[in-house]
Amino acid sequence: MTYELNVAHLYGDLMNTYGDVGNILALNYYAKQMDVHLNVKVVSLEENFHAADYDLAFFGGGQDFEQTIVSQDIQTKKAELTKFIESDGPLLAICGGFQLLGHYYIGANGEKLPGIGALDHYTLAQNNNRFIGNIVIKNQETGETYHGFENHQGRTFLGTDERPLGNVVSGKGNNGEDGTEGAIYKNVYCSYFHGPILTRNGDIAKHLLVAALKRKFPTADFSQQEALPIPATF
Amino acid sequence: MSLRSGFATFAGKSSYWFLHTFLHGGSSLPGKITLKLDPNILKSLGANYDVIVITGTNGKTLTTALTVSVLGQKYPSILTNPTGSNMEQGIVTTFLNAKRPKTGRPIAVLEVDEANVIKVTKYIQPKAFVFTNIFRDQMDRYGEIYTTYQKILDGVALAPKATVIANGDSPIFNSKELPNPIQYYGFDNQPDGDFKAKPNTDGVLCPVCEHILHYHSLTYSNQGKYFCPNCGFHRPELTYRLTKLGEQTPTSSTFDLDGHTYKIGVGGTYNIYNALAAYSVGRFLEVSPDQISQAFTANERVFGRQEVIDVDGKQVTIILVKNPVGLDQVLHMIGTDTHQFSLVGLLNANYADGIDTSWIWDGDFEQLANLDIPTVITGGERYKDITFRLKVAGIPDSRHIVEPDLEKVVEQIKRVPTERVYVLATYTAMLQMRKILAAKGYIKEGLGV
Repeated sequence: MTYELNVAHLYGDLMNTYGDVGNILALNYYAKQMDVHLNVKVVSLEENFHAADYDLAFFGGGQDFEQTIVSQDIQTKKAELTKFIESDGPLLAICGGFQLLGHYYIGANGEKLPGIGALDHYTLAQNNNRFIGNIVIKNQETGETYHGFENHQGRTFLGTDERPLGNVVSGKGNNGEDGTEGAIYKNVYCSYFHGPILTRNGDIAKHLLVAALKRKFPTADFSQQEALPIPATF
Repeated sequence: MSLRSGFATFAGKSSYWFLHTFLHGGSSLPGKITLKLDPNILKSLGANYDVIVITGTNGKTLTTALTVSVLGQKYPSILTNPTGSNMEQGIVTTFLNAKRPKTGRPIAVLEVDEANVIKVTKYIQPKAFVFTNIFRDQMDRYGEIYTTYQKILDGVALAPKATVIANGDSPIFNSKELPNPIQYYGFDNQPDGDFKAKPNTDGVLCPVCEHILHYHSLTYSNQGKYFCPNCGFHRPELTYRLTKLGEQTPTSSTFDLDGHTYKIGVGGTYNIYNALAAYSVGRFLEVSPDQISQAFTANERVFGRQEVIDVDGKQVTIILVKNPVGLDQVLHMIGTDTHQFSLVGLLNANYADGIDTSWIWDGDFEQLANLDIPTVITGGERYKDITFRLKVAGIPDSRHIVEPDLEKVVEQIKRVPTERVYVLATYTAMLQMRKILAAKGYIKEGLGV
């Protein structure tokens, strides 16, 4: 392979429900077609995350218990993760990962648990209800339609400098109220989509990989990578 | 028995007779009728039995069947619930249908759904509980592993004197203090090393200090001889041990338990755990190793889920898959086949299958790349999902046939270059497949599950 990218799989041993690891597998699948080799490393509890070491990051969803533990530990990585995001590092965050990049979320027992506030959203809970089911959204800027399966109790509200990943066509989305789903901030893509998201929406995988390539190799020509056709898988 | 219970029992029994005789059905409705008339009915129905409750995510059915065979070697009268009838109504029906034994105190071995344990213990004090394992299961229905375990414990709390016989290799079963006497079973056949579970494994946090668990030896998923390098939490002392793992094929396993060699007519490490659980109950109730060995070899019927179907000369085995740990174990098991085989993956996403297909990505299909499989067929209502899953796992298009229609899948199976074919299917896909095979005369009944 001509190119190499270092991928941080944030808390991959704890935040890994609903097949979220499939996002790593899909990244690998499309990366190969783009002549890119991925070195994936799980960065977990009591391990350091250095922004400069990574070209791409993935942060999946987890069970309530695991997420509370991660909510504490991630505070030690807050500065470097924020640095990575602010310097246009591409990152995909799903469900619990999405919540923890924001200001706070409400845990299973009603307690308010901190995120790292790198993104300007917050997450509330809902009583005895979850948003469960198939979901379809449309991104207004690209015109792309995304398919997924949502299963979340949290209701997330976006900040002013975030755009939604898409507007809900069918399903519930971030909070069931404002018609938004997910978030985009710089090169960060957030969503509640499982399925997993990149396996059904290869376009997002392509956006992430191309962004990482351009950031790491600013003078190289990636027009071929950008032209990679993504056949429908869903 | 009170007058009310007596009447309720009579009503339930008659309804069973009616349903069974005229409608060829009747597994949960009689229980429903009886429960309606007397909600406390289990108290009188179960009072005369020594009850063993078997619960957990995977392996309930086979463990229950094996336990019945094992105990049958020593005890004359054993009652059990039919496959799938593991909720309250099915259990009531089971007792209603029981014949009164002539001698001795009868035993009831009950497979009980995790959330229904409390519905049993409200009325019955079991002699023992068996905990097989708790894995991530169709999460749109069951929720997280800790919630599931808590549901079981809520039931166990009403029976603090019952002995808990638990899988000692599963850390979650050592995470809460229980007043009950506890016996653990597990694998003790490896020299000590220092390993971590694969990154995508559920339940690897130390329940005491919340650090990542390590293992001296691992069997699969998060099961093994675990220890916490941070606080010293570790696997409890085992009462019943697997001391040696012998030959494993897709249709047989040989192993030693506490120094005696046993053989079962079914493959898969997960089934050895089931056998170990049944063995533990047997030893707990003083069944001898020789009797247990007899039970394991004598009873072919309990392994019915893995019958081989002859489809115009192809030897087809249909295996139910429903969650990632089960799937990985099945993939590992068919990988022990010394003959070349073809593979069929059928995915549906109806309620009984789990409506979220995400779990297929937690399954380690990547291990298929190491096997020389000449033909892979994917189909079912969600064939696109399973097709892309296998593409990503490295199955080349040249060996991969995509066929959504199950009728045509059967035709494709007849043309594969191998004699052996493994069909992995989710629940409703399996039922549909069996129906088609029955209609074509390859199997006698459509619903042999």
